Amino acid sequence: MKKFSVICLILFLILITALIKNSTKRIDDEIFAKEENIRSLKKDFENIKLEYDYLSSAEKLLEFQDLYFENDLVKKSIQEIKIINNKSNKLEFKKLKLIND
Amino acid sequence: MNNKNSRIILEDQKGDFLYQKSKSNLDITFNRIAFVFFVFFIIFLIYSIHLIHLGSRKVKIEINNKIVTPLNDLYRADIVDRNGKYIGKTISSIDIGIAPSKIINKKKLIINLKYIFPDKDYHEVEKRIKKGNFFYFKKKISDENYEKLMKLGDKSIEPRDNLIRIYPQKNLFSHIIGQIDNNNNGISGLEKSLDKKLKNIQESVTLTVDRDIQFLIRNELIKFNDIFNSKGSAAILMNVNNGEIISLVSLPDFNPNKREKIIDVNFINRATKGVYEFGSVFKTFTIAAALNEKIIEPETEFSDLPKSITCAGFPIREYDQNIPSTLTAEQILIRSGNIGSVRIGQKIGEDKYKSFLSKVGITGGINFDIEEVGKPLKFNWGKCPLATASFGHGITTTLLQVVKAYSIIVNGGFDVDPILIKKKKIIKKEKILNEEVSKKILPILRKIVSTKEGTAKLANVNGYEIGGKTGTANKSFEGGYSNKKINTFVSIFPTSKPKFILAVMLEEPQLNEDYIYEYRDGSNFKLKGSPRNTAGWNSVEAAGHIVEKIGPILATKYSKIN
Repeated sequence: MKKFSVICLILFLILITALIKNSTKRIDDEIFAKEENIRSLKKDFENIKLEYDYLSSAEKLLEFQDLYFENDLVKKSIQEIKIINNKSNKLEFKKLKLIND
Repeated sequence: MNNKNSRIILEDQKGDFLYQKSKSNLDITFNRIAFVFFVFFIIFLIYSIHLIHLGSRKVKIEINNKIVTPLNDLYRADIVDRNGKYIGKTISSIDIGIAPSKIINKKKLIINLKYIFPDKDYHEVEKRIKKGNFFYFKKKISDENYEKLMKLGDKSIEPRDNLIRIYPQKNLFSHIIGQIDNNNNGISGLEKSLDKKLKNIQESVTLTVDRDIQFLIRNELIKFNDIFNSKGSAAILMNVNNGEIISLVSLPDFNPNKREKIIDVNFINRATKGVYEFGSVFKTFTIAAALNEKIIEPETEFSDLPKSITCAGFPIREYDQNIPSTLTAEQILIRSGNIGSVRIGQKIGEDKYKSFLSKVGITGGINFDIEEVGKPLKFNWGKCPLATASFGHGITTTLLQVVKAYSIIVNGGFDVDPILIKKKKIIKKEKILNEEVSKKILPILRKIVSTKEGTAKLANVNGYEIGGKTGTANKSFEGGYSNKKINTFVSIFPTSKPKFILAVMLEEPQLNEDYIYEYRDGSNFKLKGSPRNTAGWNSVEAAGHIVEKIGPILATKYSKIN
């Protein structure tokens, strides 16, 4: 009985070992593929972000304003900007200040 | 005989050998099983550990990224502003070279290259192939063309990795970022001071500067540089409480993408490297030192102030000849009285004034994130130097140090170090001045901008509670002073609870006869032409326009809206 149980345990361990080895290899491959995908996506993201940063820079936006909006966009002074609070369907207008205590 | 035989049999059966052999067999079988079991157990253990390792690998990679990454000559971390916008970015590119010695079929190679790059001059390429030396066929090629070239499978086509450092904001941050050389080594600015770090870390370095605010300040400064025909100018916008520099501009600047060797001294970083006499800006330090030592109060009266005094044979005069002879300490600062400041300076005494200036960081050097930092010239203290220093004459420092000192005076007396690299944790600073100094000096600085007598009325932009002090100084040269000016305005806003400091300095500005000033006192009064070449008529005007432009962004982006 003792011998039998030891043999069973060995067989079980062989089986488990094989399973673990295979799953490990599979996970390893998946990780590698994912890492490669992330690396390529990260590169694409960085390039797109660089393009976005360039196109959304103040210099470019002012250029676009001149080209497409002309007088549609106007400079606002701080006194013309208000904070609107909606408290129980009642609108409250507050002055925008540099420091809110 | 029978008895003898039976004895022999009994001995055979009791043979130790037989018994021991059987016992030994049992042991060997058991050990083998145990051994096999042990081997498999070890394998099982190894794979289990490996599996656990794989499970926890992601975390380990993240931790490792922060600490150690291999030093790569072709690598340099990106630099971003406080909002994550690229300021310096590294792009890897591939250059394609041709090794003529490895060409098998020249005709075939040329045809293939013509197909991919039809616009290239192939007579020139053929000539270079004939020479037999390696040469670069095309630099910075696209991924698509790289793939096409590699599919040719020609061993004479050799790709070489290259690194391009680009600065998408062009001139905007040139004095902060600096430049790198062709070997990927930083040679100025943050590229130099962070050289090792940039080559070793994988994450971007985040700065405290704001791209949009920097753009607006630079634009206004360029505008006023042209209006007043200045030789150069500088501006610093800083948070007075944590020392974070939101904008630092020095003009003229340069485009770091061009990789030009800058040898013209006019391209000096005027905000950090240029050492100047700032004139009346120092009067704030004199009053603050006296308030800190509890020698005076803002209401303390000084009577019988002459219009001129002589010290060591040199005259000290009032700029404003209509200034009253009896003034309070507050009025001395508002009306920028020279003789009154000298009196206060004399009351403080040389040692205490010297110690105050050192405490707020005016004298001596300053630790900063870039190496391009000027050191104030040695000042020989004495009776007369104390008198001149009390109104900012003869004593030199940098604009960055002026900004630091003003921040300490207005933020409640807390020591603050200007920084360009964003810190994850804000360290609580030591209190080095009496809290009363800020409380007493801020209303005075506000009056300089908001009252008729003040010298900075043109900066009284509605809604920002700007306070500040002007300084007009003649440029010194060896052995004397020229008529050329250094005009500075240091503004703090809002004075009810200071958050930002903006210092604007124009070097050698000129009068402009055509410029139209619009008064900000609600009178809608307009004045054509600059009446005087003082800070109040140029640097203050520039600062007012800057605050008007950047104010709404500061109010919305840098304040919590309930």
